Amino acid sequence: MSREHARSGILRSRKDEEMKLLGKRHRHERRFRAYSITALLLACTFLVLFFGDMIHKGYKSMRQTFLRVEISYNEESKASPLYAVDDDLSYLVSRGRLRTIPREIKQNPRLLNTTNTEWAVASADVDQYVKGAANRLRPREKKLIDRMKEEGNVQLRFNRGFFTNGDSKLPEIAGIKAAAVGTLYVIFVTILVSFPIGVLSAVYLEEFAPDNWLTRTIEVNINNLAAIPSILFGLLGLAIFINFMGMPRSSALVGGLTLSLMTLPVIIISTRVALKAVPDSIRQGALALGASKVQAVFQQVLPQCIPGVLTGTIIGMARAMGETAPLIIVGMIAYIPEPPTTLGSAATVLPAQIFTWSSASLRAFSERTAAAILVLLAILLVLNAAAIVMRNKFEKRW
Amino acid sequence: MKKTGKTMAVMACVGLVAGLGQAREQIRIVGSSTVYPFSSAVAEEFGATTEFPTPVVESTGSGGGHKLFSQGVGDNTPDITNSSRKMKKSEFEANVKNGVGSITEVVIGYDGIAIAHNVDNDELTLSIDDLFRAVAALVPVDGELVANPYEKWSDINPALPDTAILIYGPPTTSGTRDAFHELVMHKAAKKYKELYEPIAKKGEYQAIRDDGAYVDAGENDNLIVQKLEKESHAIGIFGYSFLEENGDRIQGAVIEGVSPEPATISSGEYPISRSLYFYVKNAHLGVIPGLKEYVDLFVSEQMIGDRGYLKRVGLVPLPADQRAEVRKNVAEAKALTAADFE
Amino acid sequence: MPPAVTALTGMLLMGVIAFAIGRRRCAHPRFEGRPFHSTQAYYGWYAALWTVLPAVGIYFTAYILFLCRVYAVSAATLIPAATAASALGLFRAYVGIRPELRARNAVEQTIMAGLLIASFVSILTTLGIVVSVVFEAMTFFKQVPFFEFLTGTKWNPDTAFLIGAGREGEQALKPQFGSVPLFAGTFMITLIAMCVSIPIGLFSAIFMSEYASPGLRRVAKPVLEILAGIPTVVYGFFAAITVSPLIVAWAEKLGFQADSTNALSPGLVMGIMIIPFVSSLSDDVITAVPNSMREGAFALGATKSETIKKVLLPAALPGIVSAFLLAVSRAVGETMIVVMAAGLRANLTANPLEGMTTVTVRIVDALTGDQAFDSLETLSAFALGFVLLLVTLVLNIISAVVIRKFHEKYE
Repeated sequence: MSREHARSGILRSRKDEEMKLLGKRHRHERRFRAYSITALLLACTFLVLFFGDMIHKGYKSMRQTFLRVEISYNEESKASPLYAVDDDLSYLVSRGRLRTIPREIKQNPRLLNTTNTEWAVASADVDQYVKGAANRLRPREKKLIDRMKEEGNVQLRFNRGFFTNGDSKLPEIAGIKAAAVGTLYVIFVTILVSFPIGVLSAVYLEEFAPDNWLTRTIEVNINNLAAIPSILFGLLGLAIFINFMGMPRSSALVGGLTLSLMTLPVIIISTRVALKAVPDSIRQGALALGASKVQAVFQQVLPQCIPGVLTGTIIGMARAMGETAPLIIVGMIAYIPEPPTTLGSAATVLPAQIFTWSSASLRAFSERTAAAILVLLAILLVLNAAAIVMRNKFEKRW
Repeated sequence: MKKTGKTMAVMACVGLVAGLGQAREQIRIVGSSTVYPFSSAVAEEFGATTEFPTPVVESTGSGGGHKLFSQGVGDNTPDITNSSRKMKKSEFEANVKNGVGSITEVVIGYDGIAIAHNVDNDELTLSIDDLFRAVAALVPVDGELVANPYEKWSDINPALPDTAILIYGPPTTSGTRDAFHELVMHKAAKKYKELYEPIAKKGEYQAIRDDGAYVDAGENDNLIVQKLEKESHAIGIFGYSFLEENGDRIQGAVIEGVSPEPATISSGEYPISRSLYFYVKNAHLGVIPGLKEYVDLFVSEQMIGDRGYLKRVGLVPLPADQRAEVRKNVAEAKALTAADFE
Repeated sequence: MPPAVTALTGMLLMGVIAFAIGRRRCAHPRFEGRPFHSTQAYYGWYAALWTVLPAVGIYFTAYILFLCRVYAVSAATLIPAATAASALGLFRAYVGIRPELRARNAVEQTIMAGLLIASFVSILTTLGIVVSVVFEAMTFFKQVPFFEFLTGTKWNPDTAFLIGAGREGEQALKPQFGSVPLFAGTFMITLIAMCVSIPIGLFSAIFMSEYASPGLRRVAKPVLEILAGIPTVVYGFFAAITVSPLIVAWAEKLGFQADSTNALSPGLVMGIMIIPFVSSLSDDVITAVPNSMREGAFALGATKSETIKKVLLPAALPGIVSAFLLAVSRAVGETMIVVMAAGLRANLTANPLEGMTTVTVRIVDALTGDQAFDSLETLSAFALGFVLLLVTLVLNIISAVVIRKFHEKYE
């Protein structure tokens, strides 16, 4: 009896132990699972915080302060435009508005000796004051603005200038147009160079290359190229394109060529993946019908993987569009307020503009920087989303 | 698909061809990062108020600017180089060798270096020697050079505050650092010439301590201003314009009894200031559209005058008679000659 | 019109005309009734290639001669010469076109040559990078011994700056180019970044490959990849303007002194940037572990986490290690975040709250600063670039070898 009792006791205690152990193992399991979810959530939280922060910093610059002022066109303001408004207002209205007055008079002499009431862009300090940010206005000026506000002569409006102006030393009229056009030029060159070269070399490596040391060297080399820090491509651009080949500094041509070498591996690798996915039956079918190998590849295989190739290209372009470091080295960080007109003329790009503004000393620029960042992020998100959609929609399952 | 592909390829080729070449339309300016803010401000005014395109201004440093400038005459070379110092004889010779014989020198004004600290602090009065002793790696103590022993300002001079020395200064690559070497370190080290002679030529000693009391920081960094606001004992070394822009948060220290103000800088009373220049390639006048007009605008009263725009950007104007002389030189396109470098 | 435009348009135009002529030639009455080897278009291409390639050859040779400063041919002689060569080529093709001519084979051979040339571009790029850093780096190492550069602990290029600014010979004090503090800064920031990205990235990968439903996975993966798509200049702004002041404030609360250019904030932000690299590469290798191993473990009664810890991770370890190495090489070469958020202070310290500088920051600073292009400090940028290139290449090659071993084992 006692023996049996003892045995069942042992059994029970062993069972208890096992249950305990199992419970412990399950707790471990839950904890581990929690860790892994937390990791993902952390990354997502950061993403939300980051976008929240940028929007918080940048949304204010979507609106811009305007003052209703009387502008007098006369000989005095023709000589010195600061006299076009009340003395108190000379430094409250943006210099960017006032300085064009002599030119307006010159172009339209009938304006002379007339006055005109208009909504003029306010200076950056007024803008910051109205938005409740730090500014350098004197107390007297603050009072004046407060009074104007009561009279309804101060307004926050949509900041159109941000999209239609180029860079400026005056934050209130600084815009991203020149940089946006510059980005288009640079990306144009990048696509033009890296797309054909990338696709052709991928076709060669995947479809034609014999398995020898040369092919292996090229393959290893492409993988290495993908991992080389982007700034070293800038050194290449400086040494080869500018100093050796004599291309114009800070031009879209040099910037685009530099970036195209950088995106080349991305395009090659994604094209190869796409080519690999095309089943051999397609090739053999074409060959069986009497096509040559070149014909089979270019007329049958390659058209099948256009979505894959384009996805890779878009991702490569998005990366090139956000790249800054190599462009600093080839001189694209400069004061370039006008959009380029040719590939050889000086150009700047959006990330470079962001970099320039972020190091500008005037505080009003930091909200512009955040706004430019939002624009750039929006473009990149659209591009990346397009790539993902394209991949999901057109990807063929064989 | 095939057809659109072909059309796109053809269009791309046409675009490429059309985009290449074409003679340069804008003025190209390179050179000193100290002159860059002024130069780009004038460039912007020029673009906004005239029919000409806005000049492109790149900050390459004075040395880099002279190098690019002296490469020769033609589309691929800059029209103007900015400089925070006078052109050197060797640079002039390089110009002459490459066919850039005719160059006009234009002095635009002064650049002061401000020693700034929190605006709420009491006024800080320093001598050049105090400053030197605060930043130099080796300092003379009792007739001997020793590694900088000063940890607090009051160690240097009992009249100074009893706070730790913490200086945010320009990095080695900046023009302001260069000016600081020239205007503070060399000047102060000359007094102890016989001590520094063995380790520095002509006694021009300029090694800065690296024990953490002097911190390299970007020149136009808002973060430094924030630091100065928070750490009230810290001081920052800036170009004068930066002090003016942030006058609500930082104030300039009084140096040798003179506080940094436009008047004291242009009269030369404020000891840490220097002239700024730019150089015009005369062969490009009349070839590059707008070059002459740009230079004229730059030296006009509305830019470099007593109430001019650049004053708001931080330039300290020249005295009126010197401005008149600069304008005369520009009007005549007075070329530099070898004699100017003797 | 500038000569380059004339030359290119001329070439294109002649090519188009030649294509038309080549095609037409097949319809010549002389060849009537005789079967052609290839379709007509190939004869067009044949003619076009014969027309364009000689001109390309001539322009290319002239350009190379010009670049190597051997001889500069003027556009006035070059363009007629190239046009003449094109005309000769066209004539040669025109005469050569017969039904027996294997136009397709000729064209395809040219295409193959084109493909080969295209794949050489990547090799040329690597060579270009090596060449563009090596020469300047050698000039630098002639003045600063390589060993001193690698082991020196003081980075103090003051005098080099003087020479660059055009006032050489004013000082006998030698500039010091000891790169240890720069590499210390680089590795400190890389280490912080890895401390952030490895746990988060690895656990995210585990979640996505083992726990998440396919639907969640489809959403989570692109969301994570957004992190990799954010431009580095944006991360830099975020690190400098948002994270740095926060860290300084928190450090103060805890009683520490933090520089505003501390190494921590670029490190943290860089770590976040690298998460998707770690997670997607680890995800790939974990998914690649054969299912039989998972099922075996489950059959023995292991829980999911035990399977992951005891079976999957050890099996996927080589792949994960190679993902880490790639992430490290990414962090070492990252530029914008550190340029904007880390300082310029060459500081040898173990305290991440102090300002530190990195190799890439110094490269950018030396190349954009106030000195001449041939000054010692500018040259030091190329020397640093050279070492950076070596480091990333070694990391990359090790990682490639490790991952190949991994795939050989399971495929």
